[in-house]
Amino acid sequence: MKTDNKLKGRDLINIGIYGAIYFVILFAVAMLGMIPIFLPLLSVLVPILGGIPFMLFLTKVKKPGMIFIMAMIMGILMLLTGMGPWPLLTCAIAGLLAEICFKSGEYRSAKKAVLSYGLFSMWIFGNYLSLFTDYEGYFAQRADYGQAYIDAVQKLMPLWMAPVLLIACFVCGLLGGLLGRALLKKHFEKAGLA
Amino acid sequence: MAYSSERSQDARRGFLDPRTKLTLVLVLAVFVMGGLGGEALRPVKTILSALPFALLLAERQWKRFARGILMLGIGYGLLTVMPFLPRALNYLALLCGGILTRFVVTVVMGEYLIATTSVSEFISAMEHLHVPQAITIPMSVMFRLFPTISAEWKSIRRAMRMRGIHLGGAKASQVLEYQLVPMMTSTVRIGEELSASALTRGLGGPTRRTNICRIGFRAQDAVLLAGCVFVVGVWTLELCGVRLW
Amino acid sequence: MVELKNVSFRYGMEESGNLHEASLDHVDLTVQDGEFVLLTGPSGCGKTTILRLINGLIPHFYPGVTKGSVTVNGRSVQERELYETALQVGSVFQNPRSQFYNVDTTGELAFGCENRGLPEKEIYARIDDTVRRFGIEKLMDRNIFRLSDGEKQKIACASVDVAGSEIILLDEPSANLDHTATLALREMIRLWRARGKTIIAAEHRIAYLWDLIDRAVILRDGKILKELSGEEKNALTDEELSVMGLRSVTPEAPDEINLPALKESDRTMVLRDFVLSYPGAKQPVLNLPELRLAVGEITAITGANGAGKTSFLNCLCGLEKRCRGTLEYEGKRYDRKARQKLCFMVMQDTGNQLFTESVLDEVLISLPKDMAGGKERAAELLKRLDLDGFPDRHPQSLSGGQKQRLALACALASGRKLLLLDEPTSGLDFAHMMETAELLKQLRDMGTTILVVTHDSELIRACCGRKLSFDAR
Repeated sequence: MKTDNKLKGRDLINIGIYGAIYFVILFAVAMLGMIPIFLPLLSVLVPILGGIPFMLFLTKVKKPGMIFIMAMIMGILMLLTGMGPWPLLTCAIAGLLAEICFKSGEYRSAKKAVLSYGLFSMWIFGNYLSLFTDYEGYFAQRADYGQAYIDAVQKLMPLWMAPVLLIACFVCGLLGGLLGRALLKKHFEKAGLA
Repeated sequence: MAYSSERSQDARRGFLDPRTKLTLVLVLAVFVMGGLGGEALRPVKTILSALPFALLLAERQWKRFARGILMLGIGYGLLTVMPFLPRALNYLALLCGGILTRFVVTVVMGEYLIATTSVSEFISAMEHLHVPQAITIPMSVMFRLFPTISAEWKSIRRAMRMRGIHLGGAKASQVLEYQLVPMMTSTVRIGEELSASALTRGLGGPTRRTNICRIGFRAQDAVLLAGCVFVVGVWTLELCGVRLW
Repeated sequence: MVELKNVSFRYGMEESGNLHEASLDHVDLTVQDGEFVLLTGPSGCGKTTILRLINGLIPHFYPGVTKGSVTVNGRSVQERELYETALQVGSVFQNPRSQFYNVDTTGELAFGCENRGLPEKEIYARIDDTVRRFGIEKLMDRNIFRLSDGEKQKIACASVDVAGSEIILLDEPSANLDHTATLALREMIRLWRARGKTIIAAEHRIAYLWDLIDRAVILRDGKILKELSGEEKNALTDEELSVMGLRSVTPEAPDEINLPALKESDRTMVLRDFVLSYPGAKQPVLNLPELRLAVGEITAITGANGAGKTSFLNCLCGLEKRCRGTLEYEGKRYDRKARQKLCFMVMQDTGNQLFTESVLDEVLISLPKDMAGGKERAAELLKRLDLDGFPDRHPQSLSGGQKQRLALACALASGRKLLLLDEPTSGLDFAHMMETAELLKQLRDMGTTILVVTHDSELIRACCGRKLSFDAR
């Protein structure tokens, strides 16, 4: 095979195949998130379960750009499902970091693959960003619910939750990556998919 | 009368251009959910919030309309009863209500976009917006595979029942293995065959693709897009310190 | 003109050192413009590989080592990009479910032309022309997921036609089709013949196109065994064919086979109130107030694609909540839940019913719980089904036929009395089809009641004793 770095039809279709599986898992978990108290679970369950298709996806990634495109598509889909424009930004950053990390392992290193998925998972944080950005401004608009509302929400969703969620995404991403690796060895390699 | 694909494509055309819907999702996300803008935008935002519901009604999406209203109702309901609840529940109701009322409108707009746009319309719109093939090809594959994944999922669950594998009290890891692994295996296999078939039909060439799907702006698009421009205009004026009302 | 000169091919990666056995071994083949050539032979003979070499999927999609040269109209396929070859060569594949890129039929027809950037007006004109010639007005503007397999295959052929390819490759296009749909496929091929297209088809079921072809190329183990044309081709008998591992050349509809649904002497089981309808649908998919079937026999269930045969199996297995029918079997009544423990179904997508990480485990989880000597019993079953060579292989890495035998091993392990099979021989060659038939007969002799949904006339002839036709009622 030629070592041509340009993405071809087949690479793009692969992004679609694994992106579809990843998104279905994301969507299934997000159904839970419709009940708002489960919202933080998104940053735990999605990175862990998503690691299974993503680790298989990484076995198909041999050229630069594929991880970044996958991330951007997640951002676009979040925009379409009404999660706002913030995920687009976090997707771009997380996708780029993951891309660089996996490339530094020459698209082969298993450790770098897990780390790369951890970085990739940080895009999920973008879904929470609109809760934290313009924090005061948003609650000021809700002045009709009174100071009690502002106090209560600030107690439950304090600003320090932001870095906690971000780190949760990353750490659970690493766990998901390890889980994905394990299943890769146990099933997908033997089944001839990897 | 003989079949005409051109006529039937015209007849299938949606009420709004997908690009208009996309713009509306963005504007709602920024202004209603994102909370951009101050006092002057409040009446505008009320109208914006009603828009997705009106559109769902206009396109007879009763179920989605009802679901959206229900979610919004629960949200405002929680906020209303919140002060009368004991302390712990009080916080919970406040949080749930706050998040629901904030997100639902934009999510409903997104649902409207997804429910009323065919895959080819969407891809055609992306191509008109000069989104590169590197994005449009994977996305069209994804939309194509979603129904496949749900069918495979169903078939796997059936097979598990038939073989008497019940996961009532079983460990989560087994659920993962028995359901996720075959689902992924068959999706990837189908995806590979899909890939092969698409490539033999010239996907991924350097020529700019055409698209037989009819999209384009009409009066209703113009009105809504003008509305979006108006919203941004009001916001800009407010930033400059001009008081409108 | 298509030319293969001294071509050998092995799948796999040379660098990683895991090359497979040779799929093609020094093959020479020339197909003239306007010729219709049939490639046939047992599974693994290399016929699909030849098609992949011509449409460029080898080496651009399936990696491997090619020797020799493959040219289409004088241009090397290996050196050109896939999308360049796609301008001349169109392909129809075996699996109707996985060859669609679009969700709607009209978009699917336009796909090839859109990819090469033809102007919209021209694409519309081409689609309308194809739709008229193929008579598929009723299939236009439909959701592909709601079409039957036969209808999907028509759309696949039509989309090759819209693209206007001069060379058309057919890779077992009839594998999933019933008799009527196969005849419709034959009509489309005839239309292409009349227009002077070059056609190369790889098939096991050769009867439906035997009289249309110019030449039959019979392959075995990657080599050309025989080339037949004219008189020679017409003089061939079914016996000579089966010696070469080929199926019959005489087309026969399952309906022409004369078998009773029940005999006087049969012990019977009674199905009552098997009715299934989907919300919003005008007619029920299934409507069987009372049905008697023979116990301890192999009953073939035939009927057109979409006549409700698969739904029937699902209902019988107790997998359809909406179906409230009951089954009376050997003096006992079984409701839906109870039937789940009485029946075993070998599904069409056998891959979706295998869950574990090894062949042995797969059989072990099927054995009744707390059974003593489970390992020995499992090993014995694997041996009986010719699977004892690889107890540690991952089930998903097996070939189609092996997966099916493994599912049968699980059925035996579960000890269930009623065995249902959904199209067990689609895509199987003569030898494997006969193997399946033999196996079913053995299971019958052990006392299992077997129902086979099939449109394979040869399988019915080979093993079925009763026949039930599910037709548009």
